[in-house]
Amino acid sequence: MKLRLFGMSKVIYLAIYLLVMVFPLYWIVITSLKPQKDIFSFPLKYWPERLTLDNYIHIFKISKFHIYIGNSLLVAITSAIIVLVIAILSAYVLARFKFRGHRQIMLAFFATQMLPGFVALAPLYLMMSNMGLINNRISLVLMYTVGLIPFSTIMLRGFFERIPSSLEEAAMIDGCSRWTALVRIIIPVMLPGIASTFIFAFVQNWNELFLAVMFIDNDALKTLPVAMNSFILKFDVDWGAMSAGAVLSIIPTILLFAFAQRFIVEGLTQGAEKG
Amino acid sequence: MMGGEIVAAHHTLSTKGGAEMKKQKVFILSGLIPALLLVLAFTYYPFLKGIIMAFQDYKLFDLRNVHFIGLGNFKNAFSDPKFLMAMQNSAYWVFFSLIFQFLFGFTLALLLKKPFKGRGIYQGFVFYSWALSGFLIGMIWKWMFNSQIGVINDILLQLGIIHERIGFLSDPKWAMTSVIIANVWYGVAFFAIMLLAALQSVPSELYEAAVMDGASSFRKLWNVTLPYIMPTIIATTLLRAIWIFNDPTIIYGLTNGGPAGSTHILSSLMLDKIIYAGDYGAASAIGIIMIVILLLYTIFFLSVTKAEKAGDF
Amino acid sequence: MRTRNKVLALLLCAVLTIGLLAGCSSKNEDEGGKTDGEKITLRMIESLTSPKRTELIQALVTKFEEANPNIKVEFISPPFDQADNKIRTMLASNEQIDVLEARDLNVAEYVNNEYLEPLNAYTDKWSDFATVSAVSKSVGSIGDKLYFVPNGLYERQMFYRSDWLKEAGLNPPTTWEELYEVSKKLTDPAKNRFGFSFRGGAGSTGTTDAIILAYNGDKVNLEDSMFTKDGATVYSTPEAKAGMELYLKLYKDASPPDSINWGFQEQVQAFTSGVTGILLQDPDVIQSLQEKMTEGTWATAPLVTGPTGKALFAAGGAGWGIATHSEHKEEAWKLIEFLSSPDANTAFSKDYGLIPIHSSAAEDEFFKTGPYKTLIEMSNNPDVFVNFKPAFQYPGNAQWGQVAMESGQSLLLGSSGLDDTLKKWDEYWVDQKAKLK
Repeated sequence: MKLRLFGMSKVIYLAIYLLVMVFPLYWIVITSLKPQKDIFSFPLKYWPERLTLDNYIHIFKISKFHIYIGNSLLVAITSAIIVLVIAILSAYVLARFKFRGHRQIMLAFFATQMLPGFVALAPLYLMMSNMGLINNRISLVLMYTVGLIPFSTIMLRGFFERIPSSLEEAAMIDGCSRWTALVRIIIPVMLPGIASTFIFAFVQNWNELFLAVMFIDNDALKTLPVAMNSFILKFDVDWGAMSAGAVLSIIPTILLFAFAQRFIVEGLTQGAEKG
Repeated sequence: MMGGEIVAAHHTLSTKGGAEMKKQKVFILSGLIPALLLVLAFTYYPFLKGIIMAFQDYKLFDLRNVHFIGLGNFKNAFSDPKFLMAMQNSAYWVFFSLIFQFLFGFTLALLLKKPFKGRGIYQGFVFYSWALSGFLIGMIWKWMFNSQIGVINDILLQLGIIHERIGFLSDPKWAMTSVIIANVWYGVAFFAIMLLAALQSVPSELYEAAVMDGASSFRKLWNVTLPYIMPTIIATTLLRAIWIFNDPTIIYGLTNGGPAGSTHILSSLMLDKIIYAGDYGAASAIGIIMIVILLLYTIFFLSVTKAEKAGDF
Repeated sequence: MRTRNKVLALLLCAVLTIGLLAGCSSKNEDEGGKTDGEKITLRMIESLTSPKRTELIQALVTKFEEANPNIKVEFISPPFDQADNKIRTMLASNEQIDVLEARDLNVAEYVNNEYLEPLNAYTDKWSDFATVSAVSKSVGSIGDKLYFVPNGLYERQMFYRSDWLKEAGLNPPTTWEELYEVSKKLTDPAKNRFGFSFRGGAGSTGTTDAIILAYNGDKVNLEDSMFTKDGATVYSTPEAKAGMELYLKLYKDASPPDSINWGFQEQVQAFTSGVTGILLQDPDVIQSLQEKMTEGTWATAPLVTGPTGKALFAAGGAGWGIATHSEHKEEAWKLIEFLSSPDANTAFSKDYGLIPIHSSAAEDEFFKTGPYKTLIEMSNNPDVFVNFKPAFQYPGNAQWGQVAMESGQSLLLGSSGLDDTLKKWDEYWVDQKAKLK
């Protein structure tokens, strides 16, 4: 009896929670499918009588949305991959060795999480300008990469620590160098952890707005969040375009997430169990 | 900083002698240098330069007149009621966002621990908020909170819960609550994911032992689960609090600090000083104050929760 | 072995994408370079961005490029909300900009930093300059120097729901007092209907300053409009207080409570969605109204007047200026001249909803009818509708909106008193005046 009651309340809780989480998504999807006039008309229509793709057609007409999506993908993926390569190395070293300065380096990485990024905005702009990287996607890849290295290192270090070092020692006794042991033995075991770090990095990059506004000038190089920000007009938020853009910008992350969430949770779990 | 001298290696290989030691040194250096170099060059260096501006009268609209003014920006900040309000708001913002994100996240993780049919899909639908940008979340909730054509008012009216529209974002009594609601909505997923992972890693032998002792499910949770996942809880709440404190994007999208600065937190106020006022001096001063607060918080937090559990930083 | 291949493939991907990025960017470098053989690249940046406006300007720019095959124009459109900040930052870092959109609000700031080149030497040789209206020249000038050529003018007028007024048997208001009365009668919170599209958020000065100036009436120094002819600020007079009292009533009795935080967007949205009945706005909302509202439900009327029967109004605008550090000033001017020609400017004004800068365009049938008619009427009646020069010469003017909005919101919320607020505003402008000297 007690168990059934618990089961019931569990179902109810999960149902309510699902509703709360899904409704905003539903509402933005519905808004994006309404004709302009219906978006603002009373009473609100929870199930639109007329569905139209006008908003989607509109945003592709007024802006080069496909190009922005491409740019966002390019920048987000490139940076996430570079972050992985660099952070795997530093995390591995920090997990496997103790040396002078170890603690300080960990602290230096951790402390970056506390720095309010906007303090550095003007000096960074000047640096990028001097390096000739303004209006160049490399500046975004560079900034995104740098921003993610510390957290990814901390996160991956946790994964490495849960993998017994006997694993690569065995390989090294077999004659592998440490590099090959890392690439061949450890990284495959770590794949779930690496996947979740990658997704974390991708999502951060995909969503970043302020640096992208500052560093990129040309329309052909703009990323999605900048385009979305452009729907805030002088006297109007173009809600039709905004909602359509929102739906389009959410899709890749949701797909990635749905595809990989098994990895994330299981990866974290698996890593933990090994420890 | 990193002399590379190996004090103690975790494992037996380090006993192999000089050549091996040297190899390790090279390995350590080459592993760390890319990360360290990038972070030093593109995080710490511009940041230190930015900090200098906190002691300058540095306004973009009056660049010919940039000069050092000592602690002037700090004095201005502390005598500005808007700043004091933002301090207070930051405290509310972090505290309530964190508490509710954690509570809902933890409950959710507990309920999702046992597999059930459709759990994967369910997780997909409740965790996606984590993948959205703060700006977008701000916009979506701004759209829903709108007091005239917003759906939340409409639902509450139709259900008869309220009888006149609430200015969720315009009434200062509500505005801060509203932005916190949006932030909780956003952040529950993070806790749920992290804690779910931690929960699933609790070895089942531990529970078996507890069951043999006849423990109730609450006892099991309190005596077995919580202690086991405590390091994760500490690490996630610590980091999360810092992120929540530092991230202005939800507020930027939702209210941009209004009405009358009543929803500014320190980070959004700093953004405001940069984007609209071009006053980098004031912004940097706020930034420094934020760092001091975070340092105090971190030290306090780690000493209260006994640092070692959060991993050896 | 398989996993090793995977990793290798992954790394290969990474290298390839970096290569791709680098490839793209180096190509851009070439295009963005200052000269490409004979070809000159101009960089032009806009401030009042919206996708539609960008498209219109881009079309003009493309025409210009066709007419001038040796000039390439890189047109930069940052999001409206962050555009001015971006422009400032670019200028401060000496990034290449040749033509920039300066606004009446921030031109003093740019001039103060010596970012903008005076255009007088260029306009002297410009044949179409003769037909540029005096107001347009005044908007783009500081002192006797012209710093930008406006790309159109904004002038406030009244938009109202003619169907609501008819239904209630009311006439469109002509004074602020009437505006309050009519708005109050239209207000019915139960029906989610409010008389006035109030704006307490960004841009609130559009209302507060308008009321205060209208109430001060003849007292105002038209050349230095934050001050009276006696040299005191307009905020220090008893008339200002009377005006602001009405302002408070207007908010309390006839506006949605939410509107304390409204900016352009919410204000216009509320009008188009049938929440509010009266809107004071610039002509660039006309298109939005035409798109979203049914014809015949709305109409325009002149600005409302103060107790002395006068309404002070100013034209505002943004326009194209040349950056001081531009290396292609001649070509930059050529572009500005092209964009500002009577044909191009009138077409742009029509498409986007602005008042053209050439007086010759007023003859155009388009502006003599429909929603623009009121604006022409206003300018034909200069005794009632008095044109003044806004305080654009003060560098602090750019911050004024922010200052007045925040203190104004505290006032509306009741957390500060009217006298204190006016005193604060008074002090702000006394201080500005002192700094100018």
